Amino acid sequence: MKTITGESFEIRMEDNHSAVFFKGALRLSGVTDYLPILELLKETLVNPTNPVVLDLKELDFLNSSGITMLSRFVIEARDQAGINLYLIASESIVWHARSLKNLQRLMPALVIHLT
Amino acid sequence: MIANQILGQNERELDEKSEYLVLSFSPLSAPIRSRWRNNGLSADFLGDFVTTFFSAEGDLTDASAHQKEIKHAVTYIANEFLENAMKYHERDVDIPIAIRLELTGTQITITASNGVGAEQADRYKAFVATILSSDAGDLLVRQLEESSMGTAPNASGLGLLTMINDYGVRLGWQFEGNPRYPGFLVVTTSAVLLPGPGTGVAK
Repeated sequence: MKTITGESFEIRMEDNHSAVFFKGALRLSGVTDYLPILELLKETLVNPTNPVVLDLKELDFLNSSGITMLSRFVIEARDQAGINLYLIASESIVWHARSLKNLQRLMPALVIHLT
Repeated sequence: MIANQILGQNERELDEKSEYLVLSFSPLSAPIRSRWRNNGLSADFLGDFVTTFFSAEGDLTDASAHQKEIKHAVTYIANEFLENAMKYHERDVDIPIAIRLELTGTQITITASNGVGAEQADRYKAFVATILSSDAGDLLVRQLEESSMGTAPNASGLGLLTMINDYGVRLGWQFEGNPRYPGFLVVTTSAVLLPGPGTGVAK
């Protein structure tokens, strides 16, 4: 299992690259700092499983630079034929209902599953 | 001489009682890397602080969900404001970076200010003009598309657009000359949150 951890967050990717789990609060300072996470996410698009899952339900906080990083991944997934992308989100985390819908404007086929 | 300029929403209800909290940082005292962690701590603090003003009236389940929304919105806005101020403040002049949380009976206002050079101020004013003349949702999606191609002219604008689009915030801007530092300006950005009836902030 591949992981990226910081003081306030943990990101884990399943060995078969089918799912990436996010936990904690992500407040990195910009595009460059988010690059390793974006690169990890992009690994799910090489020999992709069906679906590709991002599990965000334990990601309590994401700053706007993080939203930019997520949208860059969503655009990559959209532009590659045959990707089914699922986001697992939580009703009890405020930003999920507020901000994830913007990603659906980028990729209408994106599925957001609110738990 | 730099003329003072006010853009966007800056109304104040001067007759209303308010309570406020200000955090202020010297731009000269620590490098931005070591300051970054402080943004999150300060933003979390302001988010927690605002909850002490909520009343316990009404249906508790609804009230607590609503309070959670406001707490998160305050934390998100404060964090974005601090990140922008830390990124764009002018390091060569001793104009403090300040964030202020103000509560009245009807609204919550978060205000951030920092010093900038004239060129940075002009870039920011141009972006503000774009925000004021566009639909925030459309502009947000456009910025996200452009950022994926690495062509977004102003990446930090995304924080402001999410405030408007995702949290229904009204933004206002003020650019003021500073007598101590000719050629530099103090830029103040304010976000007004209208928490809605029954919230009971700052009673």
